[in-house]
Amino acid sequence: MSLAVLALAGCVAAFFAALMVFQRSLYAAAICLLIVLLQVSVFFFFSGAPLLAFLQVMIYAGAVMVLVVITIMAAPSQVSDPWSRTAVPRWLAVAAVAVPVAEAVAMAWSSGAASLPAAGISLQPSIASVLFGPYAAATEAVTLLLLLAGLAMADEGARR
Amino acid sequence: MTWAVWAVTGFLFACGAAMIVLRRQLLAMLMGLELMISAVNIALVYYCSRYADGETLASVLLIIAIAAAEAVVGLSLILKVYEAGREVETESLQELKG
Repeated sequence: MSLAVLALAGCVAAFFAALMVFQRSLYAAAICLLIVLLQVSVFFFFSGAPLLAFLQVMIYAGAVMVLVVITIMAAPSQVSDPWSRTAVPRWLAVAAVAVPVAEAVAMAWSSGAASLPAAGISLQPSIASVLFGPYAAATEAVTLLLLLAGLAMADEGARR
Repeated sequence: MTWAVWAVTGFLFACGAAMIVLRRQLLAMLMGLELMISAVNIALVYYCSRYADGETLASVLLIIAIAAAEAVVGLSLILKVYEAGREVETESLQELKG
């Protein structure tokens, strides 16, 4: 069953990635990107990396997309065409909502049972030992990078 | 299975590259970049699950964090361009103004 969900996630991701390229409206392109990012997290989950799937949803589909939408809202009017004018077919909007729901049900149904032969939850502990072992310097550097990036956005807010 | 993963990741990467090349809006180009990074992450996670390699999983986690930082800095630069009231098309951003 999980291979079927993987195939569904791959097809939906490819479809909405292609749709995203041709969207005139930035809103529509952002929605298409959000759906692709959710499919990527489904792929991570069924590849045996539930932690990465969670982080993908939290960081990418959550935080980054919120910033993208805020930036679109802050854009001059001619850039941010309202979503309504893009005339997205209703069936496509329904499919865009139904597919993640079906995948969430599949994830809940199979939670823990990794699909690919070599994958497994055993990979999870090795992430921590790698991050704070041989990759400790890189981990600290990325942590500082995130702090500085936060300051970039904080500076933006302080000026307003 | 491997060819299917390569097909999806290649297609996503190509769509992201097309966004960067074809679109002139800064924000659309940044979204294309996010798509390209996600495509690379799919390939990395697939191979690390095939060969049970925890190190690749850790590097994907670092890539996600770095890409988030890159998106934040990119978006704050785009907000500054909007705030300066300048054109948002890439052709008009020819020189740096203080």
